[in-house]
Amino acid sequence: MRWFGFGFNAFEQICVHGKVTEDAGSDVKVTCPTELKSHVETSSCCLKKPGEIRASWSRRASLHLDGDSCVCLAGFVTATSVESCGVSGPKTCGCTDAVISEYHLTLTFPGRVEVWDIQKKESTPKWSMEINTQSDHTLKLPLVPGGYITNKPPFYHSLSPCLKAKSLALGAEHALLLCVTGDVYTWGLGSHGQLGHGGLTSEEEPRAVEALCGMPMSSVATGGWHSVCISAGGDLYVWGWNESGQLGLPSQGVRKALQQNQHTQQGNLGQEVKSSEEELQEVEKLKEFFISIQAFPALLDVTPSCEIKAVSCGSRHTAAVTTTGDLYTWGWGEYGQLGHQTLMSSDEPQRVEFFKEQQLRVVEVVCGTWNTFAAAIKEELSCS
Amino acid sequence: MKTSSSVAQLWPQISAALPASEDQFLLLFSDTVESSVLDLLKRSRRHLYSQTSNSSLSLNAQIVLDYSWEKLNTGTWRDVDKEWRRVYSYGCLFKVAALCRGGPSEDELRQAIRTCDMGLLMGAAIMDNILQVIVGILQSQFKKSCEDGDDQGQPEVKRMKTECPLVPVIREELAVPRVKCPSLESFKTNYLLPLKPVVLEGVIDHWPALNQHPWSIDYLRSVAGCRTVPVEVGSRYTDEEWSQTLLTVDEFIDRFISNEAKGLGYLAQHQLFDQIPELKEDIRFPDYCCLGEDDEDHITVNAWFGPGGTVSPLHQDPQQNFLAQVMTPQQHLCQFQTSSRHEHVELANQVEVESPDTQRFPEFSKAPYLECVLQPGDVLFIPVQHWHYIRSLELSFSVSFWWS
Repeated sequence: MRWFGFGFNAFEQICVHGKVTEDAGSDVKVTCPTELKSHVETSSCCLKKPGEIRASWSRRASLHLDGDSCVCLAGFVTATSVESCGVSGPKTCGCTDAVISEYHLTLTFPGRVEVWDIQKKESTPKWSMEINTQSDHTLKLPLVPGGYITNKPPFYHSLSPCLKAKSLALGAEHALLLCVTGDVYTWGLGSHGQLGHGGLTSEEEPRAVEALCGMPMSSVATGGWHSVCISAGGDLYVWGWNESGQLGLPSQGVRKALQQNQHTQQGNLGQEVKSSEEELQEVEKLKEFFISIQAFPALLDVTPSCEIKAVSCGSRHTAAVTTTGDLYTWGWGEYGQLGHQTLMSSDEPQRVEFFKEQQLRVVEVVCGTWNTFAAAIKEELSCS
Repeated sequence: MKTSSSVAQLWPQISAALPASEDQFLLLFSDTVESSVLDLLKRSRRHLYSQTSNSSLSLNAQIVLDYSWEKLNTGTWRDVDKEWRRVYSYGCLFKVAALCRGGPSEDELRQAIRTCDMGLLMGAAIMDNILQVIVGILQSQFKKSCEDGDDQGQPEVKRMKTECPLVPVIREELAVPRVKCPSLESFKTNYLLPLKPVVLEGVIDHWPALNQHPWSIDYLRSVAGCRTVPVEVGSRYTDEEWSQTLLTVDEFIDRFISNEAKGLGYLAQHQLFDQIPELKEDIRFPDYCCLGEDDEDHITVNAWFGPGGTVSPLHQDPQQNFLAQVMTPQQHLCQFQTSSRHEHVELANQVEVESPDTQRFPEFSKAPYLECVLQPGDVLFIPVQHWHYIRSLELSFSVSFWWS
């Protein structure tokens, strides 16, 4: 299984910057999926292909979870250290799961969870807590038995056992919980419709998303201000903010940008160009057609007759993997995070052609804030 | 647009406003700002003071802007840490530098002015309000290039809506009293202390806005046309279709004042005079504000500018209010409410003041109210906590002073 990354790379979290200093743009914005290579040749664990990936805005964490498990960090490192792989800083050896943010690396070990400050080089975690891993060892961060861990103090928050939490996704200002029953709960700020209850009000306590009652969900993900979930039948539901087309619904901002781009291209080719005032009026006429906030879950047709297997979100984009091994992306694209070899945003799901062209079958996707990481295997090796 | 010698003067002027060297350009932030972001700010600073290409500076500036923009949109605006607004302003500064360093085109100048405005509107003051200083430099440059390079010339002033609105007749017993130039003592005794509304006449006749630079659409365009301001779109903020957007003053006038606009646009409750000092020079603080406890720095001055038909729904202000009318008449209805608080709120949200549903709100028809039509030069005193409702009859520009 090989991992590929595309999108924001200002901290070399996808690949090392090229020596061509003139083209700073292509260093920072990787528009074409690029295979992840290990950064540190000396450390033996890094030569293993990463099993799992976690990503924040400026970093990427590679999790090696078989045998001598450990976490390797790539991307922004504080001036005091260059190496990763737990030589100093977080001691990750033996960990069972990890989550990374701008400030912290959160690690679970058998019986405890630790939060390390990765802005400073310290030899002990900033915070830790004992957890009862006997009860449920399938829980993934940020869930821990009895509750969940956030990025800021207080780190631990309890969750009612009645909820029977299965998996949890945390956005910039809200939370999306999937229960064992297939029900979905949300809480936090709702001003962008991301709670899915039909309004813009906030919820302090977990509240069931009634619109999805009776339809069991199998997987949930959150972006900065949007929520996504996959039903047991492989359908994708979206709600929240659509200002960059991250819901895959018509977005005024995206259409205006596309028009302006056409405008510039037509101008360059010497073609006759409509006045910007005319174009503006055209877009404004269709105002009722655009969706800026979707406060109730909406079914998104990613691609006809395909089931969605996995989904992940960056702050303002979404990436989904189909059961047939294709990767679709949509939303904000100005850093190349959609992987379509352009810097345009898109309000419609589009297939990342690179994998098809390379005869690679995508099996997993994980998004960082402004980038996307996809795991793929060679097509011939998969069972069709 | 031809590159005139004045454009060559632009970067030296901006450069002179910036710290002389990289060492003197301080980047100090609290722990709220992650070290990764600080790293990018330092990279931008390095690009600014070295000979690297503008594209690197521009790229880093944009990353800073995009990241801080996300922070500005996280949580409620009130809870956004001021540090992120400062970071946003630094992003604007670096972006403006990248746009202006290489002899900017007219389009780049516009973008730079807009970027300064975004920093002034959404950011927080940095480096002695350097964005305000720079936008002043850019505006002078922009005016010069408009004078030099304009081939078509300004299109003739578009016809504005000129139908004469029906000025309502105010019944004697319902009229807000009018007084010409009362002394401080008599204003205090008769109106301020008993909290009675009054229209003061003749107290702003000395304003340049009514004398040396009489405010008109053309004047506003020439002083502030290229500046970006927040505009409310829709009939009133209690409606579903209401929204806010950012437009240049020229665009606002073109779209909502000059032509037959479909909807209403209102430049409302905006501290325009902090953003555009040239306009601030045309107005003065009413003398009567000295009767309050605050000094001038703590008086909030807002602009209210829009076509006929704009509405401020029934509401109260938490401070005393002087509402000065500068351009053309604006109707004003003043409401007294003597009922309980709960009903006040209900009334504010539901009552259509001009045709109140007296069956649902029987108290309303009995509640005494006063009304007036403000002419240019009038100043209405709205006592603190008095409910009021304002509708413009035609093109109107008012300035409000909130004081205690």
